[in-house]
Amino acid sequence: MTRATEAATFFGITATLYLALLFQWLPITLPKTVQEFTLPVLPWWALVTFGAYSLGNIGYHVLTFRDCPEAYDELQVQISQAQNDLRSKGVSIK
Amino acid sequence: MAGQHKYSVLLPTYNERENLPVIVWLLTKTFQENNIDYEIIVIDDNSPDGTLEIAKQLQKIYGEDRILLRPRAGKLGLGTAYVHGIQHATGDFIFILDADMSHHPKFMTEMIRLQQAKNLDVVTGTRYAGNGGVYGWDLKRKVISRGANFLATVLLRPGVSDLTGSFRLYKKEVLAKLISSCISKGYVFQMEMMVRARQFNFTIGEVPITFVDRVFGDSKMGAMEIVGFAKGLLQLFVAV
Repeated sequence: MTRATEAATFFGITATLYLALLFQWLPITLPKTVQEFTLPVLPWWALVTFGAYSLGNIGYHVLTFRDCPEAYDELQVQISQAQNDLRSKGVSIK
Repeated sequence: MAGQHKYSVLLPTYNERENLPVIVWLLTKTFQENNIDYEIIVIDDNSPDGTLEIAKQLQKIYGEDRILLRPRAGKLGLGTAYVHGIQHATGDFIFILDADMSHHPKFMTEMIRLQQAKNLDVVTGTRYAGNGGVYGWDLKRKVISRGANFLATVLLRPGVSDLTGSFRLYKKEVLAKLISSCISKGYVFQMEMMVRARQFNFTIGEVPITFVDRVFGDSKMGAMEIVGFAKGLLQLFVAV
């Protein structure tokens, strides 16, 4: 099963369940507030929640994305070491 | 530290005249200091800047058993470069890293250590975990990188923190199997390798690495790369 079919299956089942509850196809009686107020806005709540989670996740990871100037400095030193060493061995480095 | 193993480094190059000598120097330094048996396979795609000439000079210094030249007639892509390289590799492990020095060879020892400790099939470097990091990226680049990685993680659920990194250690037969099953090209190819590795139940480990944006030459990251990334990601979403 590919990731796409997994996602389609998941959304298919979730949507069916949701519609069944929303249109009262099942012999289940939900509390009146849930039936009339919660269910109609549930998909939008899920969408906004996912959006907020995504933005939060990306934002957090951008903030904690470490800069490594020490790696750059180390590399600069080693580049000149390498170039000097190789030049002395006859490699044509500008 | 490496026991009886031999490590083959695949270095696909295109116009890396300035970078190649330094990366080879750093690679040999790391291998020699740690008593690791190695070979470096340079796969040059007929660079007009004379990368191959430099490679030949390096071969004279380090020996023909250490530096192997396997040039190709033209730019034929990353995936086929690895296939080409593996055919000539005599090591039982393969290192893949960029020739532009954005990946520092010093992390190889840590990758080998982790591989041996857990007998892993793949060890991949991650910029996003532990003490990993980047140098030379502005906020925009960080946001794009993080956003792309988040999107890929949500869609593909690969179980590794850095999907698009390309500093990795593979068992040779594992790499051969992965390449033969990969369908995508370029940037997305690195991503697919990880996703396929999961699919085949290969074991994967991660080592934090630093990434220094290329010192010589241009960095490849523009609108076209982003579009290509999105297309490739969707293809993988449907295919894997």
